[in-house]
Amino acid sequence: MDNISPIISFFVRQGVPLETVILLLILPIIVTLIAFFRQVVGIKAFGIYTPAIVTFAFLAVPQLRYGVIVFISVILVGMLMRVALKGLRILYLPRVAITLSVIAFSILMLLALGGYMQRTGLASVTIFPILIMITIVEKFVVVQIEKGNKAAVILAIETLVISLAGYYLASWPLLIRGIVAFPWMILITIPINIFLGKWDGLRLTEYVRFKDVLKNLK
Amino acid sequence: MFEQFKNARKLLGLNARNLNYIRPYNKKKSKRLADDKLLSKRALRKGGIPVPKLLAKIKSAEELENFDWASLPATFALKPNRGFGGGGILVVYGRKKVSKKILQADEQAISEPVWIKSDGSKVTVSDLKSHILNILDGAFSLSNMPDIAFFEERLTLLKLFKPYAYKGIPDIRVIVFNRIPVMAMLRLPTKESGGKANLQQGGIGVGIDLSSGVTTTAVLGKGKIVDYVPGTRMLLSGIRIPYWKEILLLAVKAQEISGMGFLGADVAIDRERGPVFLEINARPGLGIQVANLAGLRERLERIKGLKIKTAARGVRVGRDLFGGEVEEEVEEISGRKVIGTIEKVKLIGRNEKTVEIEAKVDTGAGFTSIDTDLAEQLGFEDTVTEFQKIEATYQDIKHLSKKERWDIYKHIPHLESTVVINSASGSTYRPTIKITVVMDGVVIPTKVTLINRAHLKYPIIVGKRNLKKFLIDVNK
Repeated sequence: MDNISPIISFFVRQGVPLETVILLLILPIIVTLIAFFRQVVGIKAFGIYTPAIVTFAFLAVPQLRYGVIVFISVILVGMLMRVALKGLRILYLPRVAITLSVIAFSILMLLALGGYMQRTGLASVTIFPILIMITIVEKFVVVQIEKGNKAAVILAIETLVISLAGYYLASWPLLIRGIVAFPWMILITIPINIFLGKWDGLRLTEYVRFKDVLKNLK
Repeated sequence: MFEQFKNARKLLGLNARNLNYIRPYNKKKSKRLADDKLLSKRALRKGGIPVPKLLAKIKSAEELENFDWASLPATFALKPNRGFGGGGILVVYGRKKVSKKILQADEQAISEPVWIKSDGSKVTVSDLKSHILNILDGAFSLSNMPDIAFFEERLTLLKLFKPYAYKGIPDIRVIVFNRIPVMAMLRLPTKESGGKANLQQGGIGVGIDLSSGVTTTAVLGKGKIVDYVPGTRMLLSGIRIPYWKEILLLAVKAQEISGMGFLGADVAIDRERGPVFLEINARPGLGIQVANLAGLRERLERIKGLKIKTAARGVRVGRDLFGGEVEEEVEEISGRKVIGTIEKVKLIGRNEKTVEIEAKVDTGAGFTSIDTDLAEQLGFEDTVTEFQKIEATYQDIKHLSKKERWDIYKHIPHLESTVVINSASGSTYRPTIKITVVMDGVVIPTKVTLINRAHLKYPIIVGKRNLKKFLIDVNK
């Protein structure tokens, strides 16, 4: 690093790893991005927690594609489990428990399969991102129950899109260098969020949803 | 492009709905009322609003175990108290008859009735139990809170709606703000929506003209504009919603009771009971704008801050401000005014004497005819008295020539002519006078016949000769 702000050096001297400092400082940017996606673009995803945590999971895997593979596998198995458990008619928590267990097995199989196919990168994914992605299935199941499979899949795709955007933003070297040099710059996310919180215009997706109405208004 | 952004300000998006309307106008306490169906049902009933009858409620697994299943009627709806978007509702249409053989063979069969769903599938007590357990567990409630299950009366389908609705009951959603109905739509259940009327579930939303209660344009699900019920040739526009004024009035009254400033009111029409209030909604969806092809935001901003004292006044303001498009369109295209079968008219007689009165529009009559008393009020006293002095029946004078007949009558003041009127009670010669009729702003100088209509409800009927500039809407 060429240019390190004194406050960052202070954190590092106190024994906080530089990577942790950067991740914590990048969090406000990621959540602001998610808020922007919701309020202005109209991409909902599963709330703010899920896309944020998935972004960090993506940052923690050695290669992005393995993170995406795990994410997609989790959602696919979640969908299959809904069909499989439909006839059983059991209550919510036991149902999610069974779904989570089956997903855990499936991921284990996936990792082994990766190793067998000489894709050692997949097997070397650490447990933290895997666990995160397995637990997001609860969000997925809730939406499945409340709004159906289609809505849940759409939200899952939206989550994936936002998380990928967050991933690319957070691994953008220029941004990281900027944060290290001028950490106070993070504070602009607060006025940005105040603006987003008062933004009452149509979301971009609403322009599509209401296109027929817009054509009809004089 | 710029035009698009300008028009976008007329539409209500989710951001503006939450920030400018739900947040400031719907207080937490009243939102809780709206989310609790049993609570809002009680409050509405106390306020004199008809609601579906509550049959029973189950609050805990213990109550479920001790429930007397035989006490349920053959048809009912089972609902979660805090359900939303139509989720978790189970409706049965009849009880399955238990055959005598089984009765003798198995004691159990007597105490455990079996019901039938709309698709013909059976619902046993154990099915109901497992569904209720799910409800109690919060499977259908907002944020999975433990919930209460309740049984309520199933409404019966109005004949008018039968060809449009797929199993299930259509309802009417009215957005109310500041005691004024702002926009409305008819929600029809479809095959895709599984008999539920919610747009999110794939139902049809049909826009309704606020002033006349006639449907306009329609949307299927979240955004597809349709003209017909899918798979049929049932046109969705032009359906006249019965009890329209009452429905709007119920919606506004419900807003007063709920204490919310901005809400969606759902009203259904029962075949026997008429309009029945279903529920209040603190976060009404925005698809209603697509169904009506109109913007909510522009309407809401127009009425913000208006002081409306009574529900009836609010309904009137809403109908005047936001309705009338359908009729104007017909009038625009045809160049004719649309009138009803009973219409207010202004009659101008001699010396500018005027009378305002309700007239019956009668396409079976040629001439417009007015009651003799009415003619007197219009300054034709002499004409009436003189004419009545002449005792000549139709039979007496029908063989005379036109001139000979006129000689009998010509001394009568202000008489225009006499005409033969063939009616169910026989043919007569009637005197005619010249007056001016003003109907719906159209001025028609015309000849009208005189007859004693004292025994009839309307002292004037307007006949075909004077209806050329009008279209008649029998529903108006």
